[in-house]
Amino acid sequence: MKVLIIEDEKTMAFEMEASLKKAFYLCDLAHSFKIGLEKLKLNQYDFILIDLSLPDGDGLDLLKEAKKHNAEAAYIIITARTNLKDRITGLDLGADDYLPKPFYLLELQSRMQAIARRKFNIAEDLLSIGNFQVDIKRRQIKYELEEINLSRKEFDLLSYLLLHKNRVLTRVQLSEHIWGTFVNDDYDSNYIDAHIKNIRKKLNCHANTDWLETVRGVGYRVKQ
Amino acid sequence: MKLSTKLTLFITGSKLAIVLLFIITLPFLVEQIASQFTNYTLKQQRKEVLKNINKNGIAYYLQGDESYGSYTMLKEEFVALLPVNKDLKADTIKDAQRIIENDTLSYRILSETFKFQNKNYLLEIGKTSASINQYNKQLQQFASYVLVILILLSIIIDLTFIRMVIKPLSKIIKTRLINRKFPFKLDEHPVKTSTTDFKYLDESLALLMTQINEAFYKEREFTSNASHEIMTPISILQHKMENLLAEEDLTESAALAIIEMMKTLNRLKKISNSLLLIARIENQQYQDKEDVKPLDLFNLIIEEISHRLEEKNLNIQLKINKDMVLREINKDLLYQLFFNLVHNAIKFNREGGNISISDNFTAKGEYEISVSDTGTGISTEQLPHIFDRFIKSNATENYGYGLGLTIVKSIADYHHLNIQVESELNEGTKFKVFFLNWKSTKQ
Repeated sequence: MKVLIIEDEKTMAFEMEASLKKAFYLCDLAHSFKIGLEKLKLNQYDFILIDLSLPDGDGLDLLKEAKKHNAEAAYIIITARTNLKDRITGLDLGADDYLPKPFYLLELQSRMQAIARRKFNIAEDLLSIGNFQVDIKRRQIKYELEEINLSRKEFDLLSYLLLHKNRVLTRVQLSEHIWGTFVNDDYDSNYIDAHIKNIRKKLNCHANTDWLETVRGVGYRVKQ
Repeated sequence: MKLSTKLTLFITGSKLAIVLLFIITLPFLVEQIASQFTNYTLKQQRKEVLKNINKNGIAYYLQGDESYGSYTMLKEEFVALLPVNKDLKADTIKDAQRIIENDTLSYRILSETFKFQNKNYLLEIGKTSASINQYNKQLQQFASYVLVILILLSIIIDLTFIRMVIKPLSKIIKTRLINRKFPFKLDEHPVKTSTTDFKYLDESLALLMTQINEAFYKEREFTSNASHEIMTPISILQHKMENLLAEEDLTESAALAIIEMMKTLNRLKKISNSLLLIARIENQQYQDKEDVKPLDLFNLIIEEISHRLEEKNLNIQLKINKDMVLREINKDLLYQLFFNLVHNAIKFNREGGNISISDNFTAKGEYEISVSDTGTGISTEQLPHIFDRFIKSNATENYGYGLGLTIVKSIADYHHLNIQVESELNEGTKFKVFFLNWKSTKQ
């Protein structure tokens, strides 16, 4: 999959590129409105990530232009601007998602996967782990044919770990995924552990869950 | 004491003093006036007599007699005309006694000598002293009554006038100063007054408010801009750490160090986000308002936070009227407000403690929701500061970063909700939020 990253903060663009490359995306970078537009005219991309505050133009205008040349691409707006108006305008202009800075790179990837699933119908909806089957779209988890009842947060957590299997996810990454940017006062809470404990308890009734590992001091990982 | 009362009292007092002085001097004045008037009458009568003599000759009075004397029935007045020694000269008005028909009476007597056909005559016109002063008492009484009435009338007029003149002042206080929500709205018209002092006061206040507003907006803008600017560097750091953590050849200690860094960075991010949230609330960026059922909101919060209740073995009681609807409120913000309160109630609670969420109606018709805990409580000294930024009521422990309640307060202020706190150390804390705009769906 081809991704164009239009971001004027070079370090940030490089880090995004590094992380996406590991997930086997092909990346192209543009550090300004002008270069971004040139690349858009020349190439076709699957994903276009646009920073709203570019030094030589507004990302929202670029989004409008980009749609003419890359109508099929999925657009994700990335911005430090958090006002609701921008967000609504962005989505109205046809952006597929909106990520406020700062975000976790894993969050970006999971949003891209979600879009891929929704828009391109390419990512798998049905995952299996151990003896369990997980349907991401229907938000169901089954052991053989029996459905297991997980809470909304528990399912979010488990599917996030599954989608990034074999990677260690930290508690902060996980908590930001399930809580979003909702502001709460706790920066060192162990509620992720509580959720994991519940998930294990519910799944262990059916089969063992050794695949859901605790990485001491770091976080959790689904190993397959 | 109110200014109008003070002015009225002063004016009344000074008037009374003047009136008192007048009433004290009144007998003397009246006497003077009566005496002057008597003298004047006597002179007029003399003029008349002399005119008659000049016109008709002295015989007109004397009628052949040596002298002439006439008096009124009760002897209050008399006129006497008699020839006197050539050398006698008199032109006086004085009090003296005369004997008329065996009665000795005190008179005010005008005595004057004049010559007629080479003869010297003495004219005496008299009036009894008693008749001079006979009206004094009535006059004094009457004057006193009129005065009292006039004074009362003038006090009433003064009062009305003072009230009218001072009205702009109370209006200035009412519209400019009392119960003003910050930041001030400045589109109001100047208070109508023809008193330049009040105009000046009003203008100065308006100017002061503009300045305060400007300073406030600047501070707000700064907070908002600073928080925004911080986001990009935080992003970069976060991405670097994330990529570093994904390296396969990472040692365990390095991984742990990165985790610690990420946690710290996360803290910075949350502070920044909180400041931004406050700035956004204060900049009125949450315009969406709708009807919200508080019971649904609390069920959502409890679901969200239930694992923390279990963790601390807390018992939660939710007693919220299911028919209650809060009107014209931003759901997300209200959620955040109560989430923070419930979150605090958990955080500062003791193991196995209680949390109670209940509603009530106040005597003023407000709908009240209270969240109380059995936690550590807040000391009386700290209680006034709990809504301030970065003030932690529990400074000994590393809880949060002290913006949770500031967010609560700015949300409450934004929706004009009154919020009260009661707390007792080691007993617990109770937060009360009051809503004015509510309805019940119960028929």
